[in-house]
This record gives sequence, structure tokens and C-alpha cells, in this order.
Amino acid sequence: MNKRVMAAVLWPLGVLSLVAGVAAVGRTAPEPERPSVGPVMKPDTGAGEMLLVVLGGVFETREEAEAANASMSFGDVQGYYVVPVGQFQGFREQLPVSGEHGLVSVFRTEEGAQEFVALASAMGQPAQILPRRVRSLGGVYAGLGQEATPDGSGPLVAPIADSLP
Amino acid sequence: MGSSSDPHRGRRRRHLLPVAAVSAVLALAPLLLAYHWAKAGWRDWHYNYPATPTGYSQIVNRFGQPCNADASRISMSWPAADNGRTYTLGFHRKLGGYPTEMVANKGGRSTNLDNDVYGHIQNDHLGPYTKSGIWGYFCRYIKNTTTWSTHAWGIALDISASYEPMGQCYSTVNKYFAHVFRNHGWRWGLDFCDPMHFQYAFGY
Repeated sequence: MNKRVMAAVLWPLGVLSLVAGVAAVGRTAPEPERPSVGPVMKPDTGAGEMLLVVLGGVFETREEAEAANASMSFGDVQGYYVVPVGQFQGFREQLPVSGEHGLVSVFRTEEGAQEFVALASAMGQPAQILPRRVRSLGGVYAGLGQEATPDGSGPLVAPIADSLP
Repeated sequence: MGSSSDPHRGRRRRHLLPVAAVSAVLALAPLLLAYHWAKAGWRDWHYNYPATPTGYSQIVNRFGQPCNADASRISMSWPAADNGRTYTLGFHRKLGGYPTEMVANKGGRSTNLDNDVYGHIQNDHLGPYTKSGIWGYFCRYIKNTTTWSTHAWGIALDISASYEPMGQCYSTVNKYFAHVFRNHGWRWGLDFCDPMHFQYAFGY
């Protein structure tokens, strides 16, 4: 009799714990990756345009620059881009130290550059706007297009008067 | 002789102590509770929340283009518990800025983030779990991509970034208040191993 009572109590308890366990595992399992997202923007190099550069550092080799960039945390948003110094005309002359690769993000508007400096400083990263605009010779993507249009309608994805040579 | 020699006096006193303590708690608790709720006049309004969008098209339909002027229209201060720094973060005007007892009129359209979510966290004494690295609007892509981050619409917040790095599939501090965001229409980035991140969107 006792065994039957024990079995009657333990079986449902066992089944309930199993179901609870499965539910808990299923509920806490994270998605392996971020779900599908919006359109992939075309990398805009602004070739021929006069751009503002926010500089995060200068390094002799690409490897050093990549390592420094990887160590800088910008949370889950994009921070600096590694570019060769020769990618911009008038860039090398303004560097605070000599080197062949820089950590940069480039902008068409002063407001965009200032906003990125604010982002970098909020995250405790170095950032300085170079005093003079540089001419883009094309090359690798350096962050252009991640700023607002002056009229506030959306992202700035085309040249403006200040960026035209 | 008299009362000083009463052998039961000490025992009676010891019996009275718990009664006195319970009475004091019963008397003080309502006063403390009233003070707690009234000190800032906070109230959970739940006023005019936009429906949480799912996917890129709904985000754009509801909040406009990335980096538009409304995306950073409202700002609020959020002190971090560990380093004492107060961060100023921008967010979309549809997610806050509506005048309440706690929030001055900022031209916003709802009470979601600055009054209700933040108010809940503070009133539930969960502020000590919001640590350094607190950010809102940024006109930037998702790291290592050329796809817009939800930060570019001002519908995302990073909290305790120093403790909850992207790629970590567990949470150390944000788990204590994530339910507040969830209860107000937000999705927690822990779902995709980004525990610092909260966003007012699904399917993105």
C-alpha cells in the first residue's frame, strides 16, 4: 500500500520536474546570433571629397593598428576603422606622430565629427578632430555615411557643399 | 521588597519586546512606504507607448530613417552606480519626454523610458545594478557590419557596458532589472549574446 502511495506521489512529481527542466532550458537558450537585420549599406569612400577626420591613433604597421583597434571598446556599435595614411591627401602632414596606419572615422559635417568624438570620449577612447579637411583618394572604407543630414531627415549619404573640393 | 523582588518581571519584559518590535514595524511601515512613494511623486503612467516594431520596415515606419532628428530629440541623465559618473543619453521622442511629475516637458510623446522604465528601476531600488557604460543614440552601424544599429534610431540603450560585453551569453548585473525593460516593450540583447543592450524592437 505504502509503495503504491509513494509511486502515485513520486511519478507525477518526476514528470513535473522533467517538464519544468525542459521548459527552463528552452526558455534560457539564447539565439546564437542577432536575427536578420536591415539593408546592408554600400561602403561610401567619398573619393575626391574633402572630409573631416577623427583620429584615434597612429601606428607603424597594420597589425599594430588592428590590435589597438580591437582593444578599444565601443560597445556594440562600430568604432574606428584602420586605414593606410596614404589614403587621404593632406593626412600625413597633420599627424601628431609619424606612422603608416591610422585609426580613423571620417565625416562630411562638423556635427557628425563632434558627435563621434562625444561617443569616443563617453566610452573612454581617444579622439581628436584634425584641424584641416583631407581629400579622400578612395581606398578602404573609413566610416563615411554614419552622420545625420543637416536637415535631420536621415543619414548623410551624399556630398555636401563643405565636402566638395 | 515589593515589586523589585518580583521574580517574573524580567520574563514579562522579554515577552513584551517582540510585541513592541512588531507594533513599531506595523506603525512605521505605512509611513515609510508612503514616504518612499511620495518623495519624488513618481507614478508609472504607461502613456502613449508606440507598438514595439518587428523588423526593419516596421522600425522605419514607426521611428523614421536612421539618424533622423527625432532619434536623439530627448535626453536624460543616468548615474552609474560604480564609478559615480552621470551619463547623458539621447533617445527617440516617441519613447519619452512627456511631462510627468518626474520629467519636465521635453516635447516627447510618451512616458516609456525616462518616466516609467527609469522610475521603476529607481523605485524598486535596482539603481545599484546599473553600472558604468550607459549610452543611447548613436548614428553608427552594428560593429563590424555596414548595417544600421538600433542605436541609430534612438531606440536602443546600452547599460553596464563595462560589465556586460557584447558576445557574452550570460549576464552579471543587468539581469536584476531586465524584467523592467521587458515589461515596457523592450527586448533584451541577452537573447543574442549582447547583455548590455536593450532595444525597442524585435526581429532586428
